[in-house]
Amino acid sequence: MITAIIKKEILQLRRDPRLIGLIVVMPLVLLILFGVALKLEPQNVRMAYVDKDASYFSNLIKTGLWSDGYFDLYEVNDKQQIVREIRSGRAKAGLLIKKDFSSLLTENKQPHITFFVDGTMPSLTTAMKYHSDSATGETVTNDMYFLDADAKGVVIAPDPFIMDTEILFNPDEKETWFFLPGVIGVLIMQIALILTGISVVREREKRTLEQLLVTPMSKTTFILGKLLPYIVIALIDFYFILAAGWVLFDLPQPSSHLLLFLLAIIYVAVMISLGLLISLISRTQQQAMFIAIFIIVPSILLSGFIFPLEAIPDSVRPISYAIPFTYFIDIIRGLLVKHTQFADLIGAYASLLFFVFLFIAASIVTFRKTI
Amino acid sequence: MIQAIKLTKRFKDHVAVDGVTLNIGKGQIFGLLGPNAAGKTTIIRMLCGIIESDEGEARVNGMSVQQAKASFGYVAQHFGLYEELSVWENLTFYARMYNVSDESPLFSLLDRYGLTAFKNQLAGLLSGGYQRRLGLACALTHDPKVLFLDEPTAGIDPVTRKSLWDDFYRLSAEGKTIFVTTHYMEEAQRCHQLAFISSGRIVAEGSPVTIKQALGNALVYIINISYLPELHRALLDTTGIILINQFGNELRLVVTPEVKRADLESAISTITGEPCSLAISKPNLEDVFIALTQENPVKH
Repeated sequence: MITAIIKKEILQLRRDPRLIGLIVVMPLVLLILFGVALKLEPQNVRMAYVDKDASYFSNLIKTGLWSDGYFDLYEVNDKQQIVREIRSGRAKAGLLIKKDFSSLLTENKQPHITFFVDGTMPSLTTAMKYHSDSATGETVTNDMYFLDADAKGVVIAPDPFIMDTEILFNPDEKETWFFLPGVIGVLIMQIALILTGISVVREREKRTLEQLLVTPMSKTTFILGKLLPYIVIALIDFYFILAAGWVLFDLPQPSSHLLLFLLAIIYVAVMISLGLLISLISRTQQQAMFIAIFIIVPSILLSGFIFPLEAIPDSVRPISYAIPFTYFIDIIRGLLVKHTQFADLIGAYASLLFFVFLFIAASIVTFRKTI
Repeated sequence: MIQAIKLTKRFKDHVAVDGVTLNIGKGQIFGLLGPNAAGKTTIIRMLCGIIESDEGEARVNGMSVQQAKASFGYVAQHFGLYEELSVWENLTFYARMYNVSDESPLFSLLDRYGLTAFKNQLAGLLSGGYQRRLGLACALTHDPKVLFLDEPTAGIDPVTRKSLWDDFYRLSAEGKTIFVTTHYMEEAQRCHQLAFISSGRIVAEGSPVTIKQALGNALVYIINISYLPELHRALLDTTGIILINQFGNELRLVVTPEVKRADLESAISTITGEPCSLAISKPNLEDVFIALTQENPVKH
């Protein structure tokens, strides 16, 4: 009897070639993708520097930082701009060398330089701090000892200069500040994709779709009628989860409630319309579930949610930018942790809005008024 | 009211509907009769605009199907009810889908189909018969001129079937045109006009009376005899026999007029070893239907 059931299950699965395709192809694609993408070793982390000294010695420090390919340095005007670059996300680190650096150095007065790091992603922060050692390593400091001619014998001098590390935003490196904003997005993504992912296939399976298609309704009516209630539900859910984060985990308040609301509504619309698109291209609820998972897993791993985008190689980076969640992460961390200006987030907002229109348009095109 | 002009539909290499032309007048109850997989559902879906035809054209109420959508109703074989919604919620939903906001006709629909007592019951919990009535009611919320019903009484007991048909006559008397698909002879008898379809083609059409003559002057002989395999085999080889059909202890033979009664009687008694006397009758709808649509028709 049990073999009969086993055989029947296998036969049923075999009758759904699309599902088999998803079961076989999906893990393979994801495996290859993650195999290539997940190196965990960031490269070309953008660092904004100010070098007022511009001397042989300050150049040694910059070259040291540059040498192992970890940091990608570019020059800005002043300290404020370093902070602004990091706040906007254009840079993850900064370096400030003051004007009197070489003169203090030659006088053995141990000048200070400042190394700024973005604290929003604690794992990246730790890695950056570790790599900043290349600025104080022997190859850099060898030429920086100036022996006092009057001293007797060889003196092992203390470090010729001191590097202060300043952690910007989330200075306590709280993991919850880093993870929770993204977790909200993951939860909303799951709820939205599954809620709407089955909404049309279910009507197809229960055969109510056939009955709907003979009515005079237009495609747009159907699509919008399917989207709007779920957008409202997911929006309420978004604030419910956020409120729980505030109450239970002391999540920081946003720099602007209006911008947060704008993010919530656009992000929810992206996910709901993506869910609807999944539902329209699926023929069974099972297929819809698989496609949703196929989207959720890379969204979590390639969006900068867990691993910094800097750790994802250039060849895979376009995929990161094709994931709506990437922009959500960017904005929500900007709003809650870094208090980024709207001007620096407008690109991410625009990208999310683009996805809304893309998915709705694709839904309208995909939806056939025939069965 | 309903016109089909050379409708054709192919699914990959298989021609499901092959050049079907129909012309159905106002107030008629038109029955499309055919065995399973003959193309009935495909035709009704093309007429309702939810399957696109590969060739040919369908018109309802003198309009293209897409334009006519507000003026016809359709009940699919599975009558598309929302099981999680109540009877009333289903009804008002479909009414709104047809832009009907006045609720008073909906109350009379509830009353008409005996659903008033179940108004707040979930549609999924109704019995099959009542689900069908609700499906019908949902298709009538916008008072359509034309009604398409795909196997409206499949799996329904004879009493409920009769009451549904009483209702179809009332609707037809109100001037509505009704298109039903069926494979029940009893249901076919009730239609004003019929078309028999086999493998996607119309093989006979007309009123039930004229269709009965579709086999020409064929005759029916009836013998009281229980099933006998040797007899069946022998009869299959006899020329002129169109159809052999056993009903309990009664064997029904549809034959061409050339077959002589005495020859047939003696042929049968040689096999059974008993004297045989044949009663004579005329083909009924079922005889015609099976004779015209069976896959390997016995040669005339």
